[in-house]
Amino acid sequence: MELLASAVICGVIVLVGAALLFSKRTSFDHFIDGTKDGIRTCVGLLPTLIVLMVSVSMLSASGLVDFLAEKIAPFCEKIGIPSEILPLVIMRPISGSASNAMISELFEQYGADSFAGNVASVLLGSSDTILYVSAVYFASVNVRKTRHALPAAFAAMLFCVFFSSLICRLLLPQD
Amino acid sequence: MIHILGKIFSIISIISLIFAIFTGNLSQLAGAMLDGASKAVTLTLALVGTMGFWSGVMCVLQDIGVCRLLAKVIAPILKFIFPENCKKGIATDEIAANISANMLGLGNAATPIGIQAMKALSKANGDDGTASDDMITFVVMNTCAVSLMPTTLIALRRAAGSANPFSILIPVWICSVVCAAVAVFFAKAFALFSHAGYKMKNARDSAPPKTRESKAGTE
Repeated sequence: MELLASAVICGVIVLVGAALLFSKRTSFDHFIDGTKDGIRTCVGLLPTLIVLMVSVSMLSASGLVDFLAEKIAPFCEKIGIPSEILPLVIMRPISGSASNAMISELFEQYGADSFAGNVASVLLGSSDTILYVSAVYFASVNVRKTRHALPAAFAAMLFCVFFSSLICRLLLPQD
Repeated sequence: MIHILGKIFSIISIISLIFAIFTGNLSQLAGAMLDGASKAVTLTLALVGTMGFWSGVMCVLQDIGVCRLLAKVIAPILKFIFPENCKKGIATDEIAANISANMLGLGNAATPIGIQAMKALSKANGDDGTASDDMITFVVMNTCAVSLMPTTLIALRRAAGSANPFSILIPVWICSVVCAAVAVFFAKAFALFSHAGYKMKNARDSAPPKTRESKAGTE
């Protein structure tokens, strides 16, 4: 599994190298421009991340997350979801930076390769910020009556929580 | 967006403070504040290299036409999801381009194309400020993004000392494809419910013969 994933990553990089050598449609300058853009985006997010990281650290230091996780653990165990990912599930639809802050806190507490860490990763990778995305798209065409858009998106997100736990149990080695 | 984040910050801080007073974790809370601020900087330092590099890689991939290739691959699938628009050719190219850009993690390229697609769909619906079924399906597909290269996630895992940061790649592919399919299913199923509810409401509000007329008018 890891071998295949690493092969894909290396394949992409080799493809880019080949494109830079042989293709006339791209150039190294453009590659560097893209890199600059990425750096700018990442650093541009820093002020938001600082503020959110403070609140996420406070939340985890207050013990509330552990308290709630313990409360819902019996229920979560029945459907096979690690209860530690609860704060991430709540934060994911609202903000990308906040969920990045959440997941790095979760990795620090439980480990990136733990079951909870794996499920959180798969969840973060296969879902998006529902509220932000739908706000951007519906606002662009002045739509106020969004009808069943949010219910359907949240239902899909809940399914995603369930399915990411299932797939981690099936495909990834358990610690 | 900024004020939503402001509210999140206030709510989380207040909840944490109240809970910490009850459990006596107040001193840890003050320390956590200092840690959090510096952790954000360490995290950005850990992410900036990977994110910058992959952003460049994606730029080159876009140049050599990987995005267009991907759009061609997913176009046949879109025929099943938006059958009527595909027949008329409304917004189909934009939707395919938007989804393929999202798959490659090109958020900056995906959003403007997606907005064009929304505008075309809204025009087809008469620009009346209500979301049509197709607009909803499209937005729901976007909230459930299929990501082929979740680079930020991999960088976050690496920064947290994961032995195998790539191990989640294939699970993410499977999960995001399945979830996108389920999202489309939910959007379609909820649309059926919403139409049924609308008809029932109409039937309750007005006399039966009138309902049939107004129904014929809307469809």
